[in-house]
Amino acid sequence: METLEIIGAFILLSGSIFIFLGSLGLVRMPDVYNRIQAGTKASTLGTLLSLTGIALMTPSWWSRLLLLAIFIIITNPVSSHVLARASHKAGIKLSKRTVSDKYKAYNQAKEEAEHGNES
Amino acid sequence: METNLNIILAIVIGVLALVFAIIAIYHKKLSVAIIASGAVSLMASILFLLLSAPDVAMTEAAIGSGLSVIIFFYALSKIRKQHD
Amino acid sequence: MIKKLTFLALIAGFGYMLWTGLAKYNAAESLNRISSYYAQDGLEEVGAANLVTAVVVTYRGLDTLGEVSILFLTASILGFFLVSGKGPKIPLQDSSEILKTASKLLEPIILLFGIYVFINGHLTPGGGFQGGAILASALILAYLANPKEGINKSIFRITESISGVVFILIGILGIVLAGGFLDNRIIPVGSIGDLISAGIIPIIYIFVGMKVGAELTSIVTNLKHSPKNNVE
Repeated sequence: METLEIIGAFILLSGSIFIFLGSLGLVRMPDVYNRIQAGTKASTLGTLLSLTGIALMTPSWWSRLLLLAIFIIITNPVSSHVLARASHKAGIKLSKRTVSDKYKAYNQAKEEAEHGNES
Repeated sequence: METNLNIILAIVIGVLALVFAIIAIYHKKLSVAIIASGAVSLMASILFLLLSAPDVAMTEAAIGSGLSVIIFFYALSKIRKQHD
Repeated sequence: MIKKLTFLALIAGFGYMLWTGLAKYNAAESLNRISSYYAQDGLEEVGAANLVTAVVVTYRGLDTLGEVSILFLTASILGFFLVSGKGPKIPLQDSSEILKTASKLLEPIILLFGIYVFINGHLTPGGGFQGGAILASALILAYLANPKEGINKSIFRITESISGVVFILIGILGIVLAGGFLDNRIIPVGSIGDLISAGIIPIIYIFVGMKVGAELTSIVTNLKHSPKNNVE
């Protein structure tokens, strides 16, 4: 019982460290897309780790925590994808250090293919 | 000890709610103001939970910080598109 | 300058009023008469494990009816003004495959959670309003994920009207069969803590949840379809 609680507390601490790193990334990253990536990846891992820690500390809650974890696993990546896509469509510029923009290239190729069909 | 922690948490969350409310009033971008107003109701719902009123907290979280933000954004996008 | 000074004076006066109110405030040591009646006799009389529900649906049921009708009025006024507006046709962009698939995965879960919240309203925290709002958020997610699909608005109108009428009919049945308007002892109260207990409260909450969900969804659908969007 005691050892489980200590292990859970350590996992909880590491989860909160990851959440802190994610929020640091939100401030420090150069453009919107990098910020989205930092925020989502780090906060997903951090939240899952803290849920695991809480489950180890109070084992009777595991079913609810599992539901929460499943919900986070489904929603977090999808919401970040939608955010990134919407900001790309709204025309927000990438940072100057970006090397490739595959989505733009994909859109251009698609447009050219459509024009080719029309003419 | 536990009640003391709860009181400190309640004060911190109340101050945060005030900050978000001021942002919601004075920020020039409407979208930021909408998000700040959603954050105000999120803080209010945590406060309700701390004051052991889970029913009210659920209502506030679902309607205040969920649905009303969506409706505001819908209306905002509609206005912008009609102005263009 | 004068404007600012009057503003400051107003704020100072308001602060003084609040301060005097706060200085005289001391927390009540005991419940007042109505609250103590609710706390002592409410559990036996109504049979709901969640006492808040007993107060909201039975003792103060008329207020709940008022809230629901205010929401109905808001939704219908919004629909009235938005449908008659004219505007340019807005081109819609299709959403991505990932969002569509994820929303198909999520919608049943959210709908199930909303139904759980309002069916268990008399046992755990929650109830018709909360469950209705969760239902509405699931339906709105469906619309946002598939912006090009048409919406059958009449379903929401019919659901809302039927639930409102049933709510009032149950209230009138309370006058006929039991002690008064919205009395919950039309059917036997049952044992406290069971899913089927607390008389008519779960049934009322099911209809309140459907009504609130339909109203909140219809607000968003009216916004979506307003300026001749679907009228080609």
